[in-house]
Amino acid sequence: MAIVEVINVTYKYPFTDSPALQNINLQVDEGEFVAIIGPNGAGKSTLCYTLAGFVPHFFKGELTGTVEVAGNESSQSTLHEWVLNVGLAFQNPFNQISGAKYTVFEELAFGLENIGVPRDEMRARVEGALELTGISDLADRSPYSLSGGQQQRVALASILVMQPKVLVLDEPTSQMDPIGTREVFGVIRKMAGQGMTVILVEHKVEWIAQFADRVIALKDGQILLDGSPPEVLTSPILEGSGFGISRYTSVARRAQELGLWKKDRLPVTLDEAVEGFSLALTLRHSLWSQRGALPSPTGGGEQPS
Amino acid sequence: MNIEIRDLHFTYPAGVQALHGISLNIASGEQVAIIGQNGAGKTTLVKHLNGLLPPTRGQVLVGDWDTTKHSVAKLAARVGYVFQNPDEQLFSKNVGVEVAFGPRNLGFTGEQVHSLVKDALAMTELSDKTETNPYDLSPTWRKMVALASVIAMDTPIVIFDEPTTGQDVMNITRIAHVIKALRERGKTVMTITHDIDFCAENFERVIAMAQGKVLLDGKTNEVLGQDEILATTYVEPPQLTRLGKRLGFKDVVRNQEEFLAALKK
Amino acid sequence: MNAFSMYVARESGLHRLHPLTKGSLSLLLLVTGLLLPGNWTSYFLVLFVILPVAYWGKILRNFIGIVWGISLPFILSVVIIQSLFWGKGTPIFEFWIIAPKQEGAIFALVSVGRIILVMAGFILFAMTTRPDTLMISLKQVGVPSSLAYIIVTTLQIIPRFQSKAFTILDAQRSRGLETEGNILTRARALVPIILPLVLSSLVEVEERAIAIEARGFNSKKEETSLIEIPDTNGQIILRRVFIVITILTIIARVTWQLLK
Repeated sequence: MAIVEVINVTYKYPFTDSPALQNINLQVDEGEFVAIIGPNGAGKSTLCYTLAGFVPHFFKGELTGTVEVAGNESSQSTLHEWVLNVGLAFQNPFNQISGAKYTVFEELAFGLENIGVPRDEMRARVEGALELTGISDLADRSPYSLSGGQQQRVALASILVMQPKVLVLDEPTSQMDPIGTREVFGVIRKMAGQGMTVILVEHKVEWIAQFADRVIALKDGQILLDGSPPEVLTSPILEGSGFGISRYTSVARRAQELGLWKKDRLPVTLDEAVEGFSLALTLRHSLWSQRGALPSPTGGGEQPS
Repeated sequence: MNIEIRDLHFTYPAGVQALHGISLNIASGEQVAIIGQNGAGKTTLVKHLNGLLPPTRGQVLVGDWDTTKHSVAKLAARVGYVFQNPDEQLFSKNVGVEVAFGPRNLGFTGEQVHSLVKDALAMTELSDKTETNPYDLSPTWRKMVALASVIAMDTPIVIFDEPTTGQDVMNITRIAHVIKALRERGKTVMTITHDIDFCAENFERVIAMAQGKVLLDGKTNEVLGQDEILATTYVEPPQLTRLGKRLGFKDVVRNQEEFLAALKK
Repeated sequence: MNAFSMYVARESGLHRLHPLTKGSLSLLLLVTGLLLPGNWTSYFLVLFVILPVAYWGKILRNFIGIVWGISLPFILSVVIIQSLFWGKGTPIFEFWIIAPKQEGAIFALVSVGRIILVMAGFILFAMTTRPDTLMISLKQVGVPSSLAYIIVTTLQIIPRFQSKAFTILDAQRSRGLETEGNILTRARALVPIILPLVLSSLVEVEERAIAIEARGFNSKKEETSLIEIPDTNGQIILRRVFIVITILTIIARVTWQLLK
């Protein structure tokens, strides 16, 4: 069942000549985990803002087409009604802290205070969000005293506490160090696993390949590809166009040209690459041993069955 | 220009000891990456090189200069430092003027400044944006302006602080090109980075730090092959290195060329 | 000073007072100190009202240090300017072109008293009031959310600004900008530091605005609050008294000026 429907959306920011988004058509089913990839300037953030209602309500400009979430249309509702449909988190965790609250617990309650949720319900929802994002032990700390990864999880929790129907995340790990990235991805994966509809803009394709249901490639404001991770992430269209392709895919493509990769499909993840290259090495090894030439074993690889 | 770090200790005014006796030499023209988790002391170390921080104990020599004997502004003639957030240094009315700021401060003549700026803009693909206001550019291009501003200073040593954070593939490629160009000119290039693939593909020497000490220091292939030690500081080896290891390659590979060569064997 | 506001947590009666009680008290002290006649009213209020209240709030030592630290640059400028530029009068001593006059000195002292009063009044309030409880109480009396938010976050923003300024300073020094030396050198260093500070902050401000909108800020809905702020009838009456006295003082002063 489609929970998000974007129909023929074209958008131009005020005072600009060319549209940031052109003829975007996209559907997301409830519970789907969709990843969006693309070079900087492709319109990924603009698309996030459009899904979250900030286009057109915050940024003004010219929007044509419709954006529907759970049957409601974004241009027909106010921004404040819309944020209850779509939660938005972005790159810099520091800028997502309200600055008005002293502890993480209160920071999470900030959104609920704004929309008039009664006190008891507030507490329950905040505690729920803290647990979901694994930061219950940080509840009494000042949001400003936390590490990047912790702050980003606070930002996520602050949005989750509003109980949106769809979660839109714009490069939440770009500013994180490896530990922070791991923490944030852990939370996203958990959310997706619990059936939340997630739309994630990311550069780290290896992770997307493992956990996303679908990948959309965006460039120059248009959708180039929309399909399963293996289809999209190994497509030759992405090579040299500014997309962050997995190094496993690139090296396998080169190896394929040299006859060193035998499978039809190119790998995106480490495991797929190991499997494919081991196979190629095994085939070559058995070929050579058939011809009677036994090269020194590479050792540790798979034994021919 | 060599860098000599002799038994460097540093404690922040608040009392935290960030560096516990670091001794290193970096020869002229070397390309060095410093890796390690947040809090390991990487930025603290590197800020000693241009005098932003003075040693609590020990000595730092840049060429024949002791860093405590020269102001940061004077050391800027020898050490260029590219900070992480370009917005925290851009202020001029257009890119050309912005990039000229550094060389002007260093006392180059008008003609020299002009040619240094032209050169730096060409290296960072900004030649067509000379008259644009930096804040009219996207964050991607503002990053390039920040880079150009330091390159134009023509310092023998250039330091990059987390240059690839938040950048897309195309910008990372541009940054890699800049580093290559600097290498070809014989500059010493140092970087602090979390991006282990970027590190593996562009730097010859890797220093891994943890808790204010040097954990590993050597050629890239050697250091990145030491998974167990790196794991203690939450650094995962580069993608192709991991692949090579899983496939049982004898040698540690760090980029596509090395991988394919090892594969062919 | 706390990293993000001047608030210093203590167990004291002053801290437990409702934020608006403290706010209206500070306002009252300010207005009376500045508008009532008498050269030494400000000193009187500082010594006999503010300092004891600070003592009651268990912040006296920090308080004196901070007030002095913040007032000092203003005090120095006033004293210097008045000493050099006061017109006719009886000189205290003469040295080259510097001839501070008695009248100038007295005027300077009076001004200093006022400066200290204003700073002390504000700092007393800031040190004993949590910004978030202040925001809630402002909203409860009908102050629009956005205004309350701006007031409260400005307090938090100041240390943030400071740390940014230091980063910018480091970045520009690393580009060869001299910051030590004579006045002219330092003056030249101002633009490369202040401009990026303002510009980069604007970028952040926009992002923060989006972030809080995404959490329903200013949604015109009836707001609730997580924390309850303790209040008493006594304080409510006291606040009203303070406000009334403040208004009367202003009216009195304006009337007096008009009648002169």
